[in-house]
This record gives sequence, C-alpha cells and structure tokens, in this order.
Amino acid sequence: MTDFDAIVIGAGNAGLTAATTLQRGGARTLLLERHNIPGGCATSFIRGEFEFEVALHQLSGMGTEKNPFIMRKIFTDLGIMDQLNIVEERELYRVVMPSLENKEHEIDVTLPANLKALKKTLIAQYPEESDNIEAYLTLCEKLSLECFMMLPRAQKMADEAVLKSSCPLYIKYGLTSSKDVLNEFFSNKDLKAVIAAYWCYIGLPPKDIPFCDLAVMIYAYAAFKPCHVQGGSQAISSALLESFLAAGGKVLFNTGAEKILTEGDKVKAVQTEHGDIFSCEHVISNTSPLHTFNELLDIPTPKQAADDMKSRRLGTSAFVLYLGLDCTPEELGVTAASNFIIDDRDEEVAFETMQGIINPTHTMMTCYNHDDPTFAPEGKSSLSLLCLQYSQAWEDLPVEEYAQAKYAFAEKLIDHAERVFPNIRKNIEEVEVATPLTMMRYLNTPGGAIYGFQQNAQDASMFRDRINAVSGLHMAGSWNGMGGFQPTYMIGESTARAVLKKITKKQNEKETEMKEQELTNV
Amino acid sequence: MSNSTINKSNILHAVNGYQQALDHQRELITTGTDFNEQKGQVANTIASLHPKRLQLIVSEVVEDTASTKTLRFKAEGLVLPPFQAGQYINLFVNIDGTETARPYAISSAPQQRDYYDLTIKRVADGFVSHYLLDDVKVGDRFQSTGPMGTFYHNPLFHGDDLVFLAGGSGIAPARSMILNMIENTHVKRKAAQKIHLIYASSYEADVIYADELKRLELEHDFLTITWLISRPTKGYSGRTGHVSAALLSELLGDDLEVLQEKMFYLCGPTSFHDFCAEQLEQLNVKARRVRIECNGPPKHPENLDGWPQGLIATDKVTVTINKADGTQGQFEARVDEPLLNSMERNGYSAENACRSGECSLCRVKVLKGSVFNPAEARLRSTDEAYGWCHSCVAFPTSDIELFV
Repeated sequence: MTDFDAIVIGAGNAGLTAATTLQRGGARTLLLERHNIPGGCATSFIRGEFEFEVALHQLSGMGTEKNPFIMRKIFTDLGIMDQLNIVEERELYRVVMPSLENKEHEIDVTLPANLKALKKTLIAQYPEESDNIEAYLTLCEKLSLECFMMLPRAQKMADEAVLKSSCPLYIKYGLTSSKDVLNEFFSNKDLKAVIAAYWCYIGLPPKDIPFCDLAVMIYAYAAFKPCHVQGGSQAISSALLESFLAAGGKVLFNTGAEKILTEGDKVKAVQTEHGDIFSCEHVISNTSPLHTFNELLDIPTPKQAADDMKSRRLGTSAFVLYLGLDCTPEELGVTAASNFIIDDRDEEVAFETMQGIINPTHTMMTCYNHDDPTFAPEGKSSLSLLCLQYSQAWEDLPVEEYAQAKYAFAEKLIDHAERVFPNIRKNIEEVEVATPLTMMRYLNTPGGAIYGFQQNAQDASMFRDRINAVSGLHMAGSWNGMGGFQPTYMIGESTARAVLKKITKKQNEKETEMKEQELTNV
Repeated sequence: MSNSTINKSNILHAVNGYQQALDHQRELITTGTDFNEQKGQVANTIASLHPKRLQLIVSEVVEDTASTKTLRFKAEGLVLPPFQAGQYINLFVNIDGTETARPYAISSAPQQRDYYDLTIKRVADGFVSHYLLDDVKVGDRFQSTGPMGTFYHNPLFHGDDLVFLAGGSGIAPARSMILNMIENTHVKRKAAQKIHLIYASSYEADVIYADELKRLELEHDFLTITWLISRPTKGYSGRTGHVSAALLSELLGDDLEVLQEKMFYLCGPTSFHDFCAEQLEQLNVKARRVRIECNGPPKHPENLDGWPQGLIATDKVTVTINKADGTQGQFEARVDEPLLNSMERNGYSAENACRSGECSLCRVKVLKGSVFNPAEARLRSTDEAYGWCHSCVAFPTSDIELFV
C-alpha cells in the first residue's frame, strides 16, 4: 500500500479545495505547502493595526442566502460554509477617468451590484444608447446561461445539432473578440470603457478576451453580487485547511515538494525539500506547469506537456500598494469598494504600459472597509492600489536599484490614485509595497504571474486535451483554466472529484479481485 | 508541428471564432517555448533579493565598550543582499547543543555589500549575547536569515524630518540609517533630509559609537545628536535623565503641527520604547508618525492583561509536539517562557526571524490546550479561532499539544 492515495502540492486555492475534496471523499491525502500558512495568495498580513488582504478583490459566484450560487454549494460540500461571514458588496465598481486639466472628471460612473439597477444606471448615463444597453445586457445574461448549462451538455453529447439549437448566442458571440462585440453594440466610447472595466480581472485588453469571459463576468457579478469574507480570504483558506484536517488529512507546512518521482511514466512518490519520500497513486499539482513539468518531474518534460506550453504565454503580474490610512473611507471620498481609475478609454494603451515600469494609466483602488467597517480599525481605512504589470522590467533591474525603483513607482501609483482620492498620501499610517517580484517570491510563479497564462481564446480548456503523459499526475490551478478565486476553487474541486473516481474505481476492482480470489480459495 | 491539443470537441467548429483561435494556437506554437530555458530562474531571482539563508564568516571583532562588541560578518559567497537601513538579520547559533537564534539590526551602511556589522550588547540575564561576546572569534562561521523587518525609512510617507530615539544598543539601526543618509543619491531628498538622534544610555561608559557619531555630527549638517545618560557618574556635565515629554518639547519644540510632520523611530529595550511611546502620546503625536522596533517577547507575561487568573509564573505544563514524521515528543515548560525558547531547548524548532511576534515565521498550531498571546503577537484575525499562534511570543497556559 502507498503512504497516501493522493498528494497535493501547494495549499493555494485549488490545492486546498482539491485536498479537502479528496480527504472528505475518503482518499488518504497529504498536502504539502512550502510556506507556514495555507492559502497561497488567499492570505493576509499584519502591519501595525491593519490586517491587509493580499489578493481577493471581489469574490464571485457566491450569490446570496436567498439566491445562492455555485460557490455556496461548493463551500457547503467542503464543510466550511457555516464558518464564513459573507459581506455582500453594494456596487460592482466605479470607473473614473480624471480630467488632465484638473477639471471635472471626464468619466465618473458607479455601477450597482444588481441587474435591474445596473441597466437603469447605464441607461440614465447614456440615454442615447438605451436600446443597445438593453440588448447587450440581455445578451450577457443569455450567453452566460448558455455557458453554464447548455454548452457543457452539448459538448458532452458531442452533437453539433444540439449545440446549434441550444447555444445560438455562444455560436455567434462566445469566442468573438470582446472588442468586436462592444463595437457592434455601442458607439459611445465612454460607455464601452465603463462596461468593459472588468477586463483587468483577466489581464488582457478586450481585444484579446473571448466575449463569453467578459459577458459572464459582468452578468454573474451583477446577478450574484461580488462578496467579501470577514477575516479576508485567509478566513476561507484557514477554514478549508481545518475541514481537511478534521476529515483526517495530513498537512506539512514549511515543506516544499522537491521532486515528483515516477516509474514507467506513472507517478510513484513525492520527495520533499527535506528529503522525505512519500509514495502515492496520484499527485495534484497546484503549482505552475512550468515548475511541475520542467523542475519537479524526475523525467524530461513529456512532449505532450512541452507542446502544450509552446502555445501558452506568461500572464501578467501586478504591482500592489497595501495602504492603511488614518482617515475614514468617507473622508477619503470613497463611494464604492472597487474603483478603476483610467487615463485612456482604450484598454490597449493600458496594456502597453503594463510591459514596463512606466507611469501607470490604469489603477485599481479597492477600499476594503467600504461595505463592512470591520475590515479596518475604527476611523481608518484599508486600501489596496493595484496596477497590472509584467515582471520583466523588474527582473532586469540590478538588485541594488530595486528598492529605489519600487518606491519611485509607488509614488507614481499614489499620484495617479490621488487624482480621484486626493488625500491618500498625507493619511498614510502603514504601507507595504509589492512588486511583480514580490508576487514571484510568494507565489513561486514564473514572471510573478497572478492569473497563470494569458487567457486569450485559444488558452481555454476547450482547446486543450488533458495532459495525461504521466499517469496519476494532475494539474489544478490558475494555469490550466481561468485565474481568480472562483475558478481556482472550482478547478481544485473538480480535479479532485475526477481523481476520487479513479481511486474508487481501482478500489472496487481490487475488492472484486479479492472476492474472486477468496471464492477460488474456497 | 504535431499538437495533441487540437483534436478535441470538433462540434465546436460551428462556433464563430473557433477556427481563428485554433489558427492562433498554431501560430503561437511556432514561436513559443516549453519554458525549459527558464529552469531555476524563479528561484535565482528570488534568492538574489531575498535569500532564505546567508552563509557568513566573522571577519572582525571590535570592542565598542566594555559591554558591547561589533561583529563584522562577511559573505562566504559573493556579495551580501541589499537591505534597507534599519532592517535586521536573524543569526542562528548553536550553544552547547541548543539551536537557537537572535535577530540583530545591521549597523553598517546598506551601500556596504561586502559585510554586515552587528552590534551586540551584553544582556545581563541573556543566553545568546554572552556567547557572541565571549566565545566568538574571527573565522567563525554562521548562518542567518536574509535581511528583513519593517523598521526602516519608508520614503512614501516618512518625510525627511526624522527623530530617532535610541536606547542602548538600539543605536545599531540608527547608525545604519545615518550612514545611509550620507550616501543618499536622491538630490532633492538629500537637501531636505535631517535627523535628530536622541541617544539614551545608562552609563557614560556604555555609549556605543560615541567618537564616530560625534565626528559625523561635525561633518554633516543633517545630523543633530542629543546624548542622554540616566545613571551618570559624579561630575558628568552632559544631559541626564530619561527621554521625557518635557525633554522632547525642549529639543523639538511643542508646535504639534511641526511635531506631526516628523517621523519618530523608537529602538531600544522594551521598557525604553514603551516609555518613549507614552511620552509621544502625551505630546499628541499620532501613532502614524511613530515607528517602534519590536524587541523580543515580554519578560513578565504574568503581569499583562489577559493572563489567566491564578496561574503563577513558575507553574509548569507539559508540551506535546506532533512531529512531521508522525511521532510525538514531550517536555515540561514553564508557563512564563515563550514556547519557541522551550521548544529549542528541548531540541525542537520552528523557522523564526524577529522573535518578537511580528514576522509570523514561527507560526504553529495548538491542537489541544491553551496559550496566552500577548499584544506583541501580531496574529491575523482568524488565527486564534483555529489555534494558530506565533510561538516566539506564545506562552503555554495549560498542558498543550502542538503541530509544528
């Protein structure tokens, strides 16, 4: 018998849901984590009186108690839903394009987290486009429903006629460039910029995002509301770990995986950084395929995996300022938790600036205690300022210039945000700066990638075969699906379910075999 | 080029854009890579900025005062990683078989990458300081963490008008910050920067870096130093007493707006920085203008708020450790001794660096029993509910079982 049925490498979102699903499903599971805390980027850290959320901006997929959506079900199945105090956000986001001449903002629109109110708000703002808004939002809703329900069914049946009859909108718009769809529906450039603002949760300009992704995002956030959890994403990570342990799972912290050992193209064991070897039937890797195949695996990268990676491109990282301010959100002028501050209506301009350490043109400001005062000490504010950025320019810096470059860029980011929230700097009580290299340090991802590979159309799983060159080795994380919280929680859970099936099947076969053996013996 | 990824879901050819996406994939494959050329790059990049361990060798020992020495540590490898003036390294030691560590602020300039100076003062009832002062000699080898900590000048909001209140060996990070200011390459900031060092020592003979600091004060206009002796010898003509609110008002003025523009750095024994923080509070200086370097676990946890009633400092409890290999170990510990220390004395360990509750590296999980977490323990809001504590400042208040 092996030491474990399954070993999960990495206690990030997907690693935690995978490990918990496996152990609760009866598989003897070992979870390896190189840090001393579960969560990966779903964590928090303390500075002074503040506990800063590292990565969660708006949790999707929860729904409300009355109108629950898939993440509530998953968290219930994983045994943690009753541990979480959910905070619903009132707004989707505010988009501001400040004037360059210090005049009134060129764009300043706040979208409510409600489908009807969203429509009304957009129509009130852009009345000349009311029919288009109506049609666009209807498309987003219907297309989302096709993606959730009809498309998976048609794919399963592999029947083109079913696809054509049940997914007409997907056929027409699903894989179309989001930019083309926006242009087809709208002529007002402001409106297009406002409605596409969630592009930065994917990290590519609308030109490169398949429309189904953008449509699902705006529809699902509006219909099921963005959420936060009290205690931050660490509360989810800690609850998942507890559920895993309560089910009898074994975790090793401060223990990175060093090697995945194989025998005849089949997973045999995992060796830890401390030299311990644990045998197992299955490995679920929550680390990148680059690290898994090129560094952990004890055989050369299988051709199948190498070929798959050749069509991938590293996704974006981010530069983040975590700010604890000695003033209230009201005093700061905050009216929504999530804010996008943009310099240009064209997202491709922002995408260009993501390549280097240049003046930020697209800043996300999240105020964590806008919807719930417990997210900051009384009378204070907890903020993050974020701009997406690739890591290369940071990797190219000599180490002795790193700190100075980090502060210089942080100053620019604060300047940018201060065009909308002018009193940030003078109220700073605590600040921590995270560059793409900080992301790399804590996530162990190439390029400090926060969402995995670039998620253009061909990156999606429908264009990919499962990599099965090494039997028993499974990938789960942002690198083989969408990035972000909901997708990674879900892929960990679904990957583990598939593994459980294999384990159960094998156990059943063994039992049958043993029974037959017994019968023969008799 | 063959590709196994594109045979799937043929019905999807009916979807607009499906073929374009496939074509795009083929095109990407021809110019793409399997990333094998990047092998090791993440680890190397991180190690160049934040190495987990440094291999150090003592290259010089300077006796600063009767109670203080500065040990100079050179890198065994190439140059040392950069740090921000004020940061510390945690130095690992093995004393008669006990593996432990202590954090020390780097007192040399960040521009000096060939060595780090650590300035070590004898702690009367200490354990590690005696060893470092009495037994360590040139050529001895050590391991340490990389530089870390949040006690440094942050240009984003600290401003250029600094006040450093140093008590005893708390001068070490101040020296590094002053040396760093001399080397400041930011022209505008260099012109604006000033620092007032208020340096409190118990005895005249205790004053560390006296000559060097006096010389630097003469050479550099940005530096003002006030020397303070709390237990002067007869005939001492300098300032005496403590860093009181009255003294601060006298030296810095009592215009609150001006005071509020300054950034105050407090470093010294816990009693020193607690006292200084109270004085600043009396002067209505806001918490956001005060930075305090933490300094070890509380000496007498039994006197703190929240300590269980009836529990006496000398009480002993049994600590059971669940080890990673599945075995268990047990030892007795006093309730007033930080868990990490008693663990180390009994041959167990947890990664650690600040040993003051802040860095969270020594996080362990309490499976059974209870611990006392003082205010020094900067726990996350959900930690206690799940039994997580920072073992360097956690005190066992009953028999406990730990997962490390």
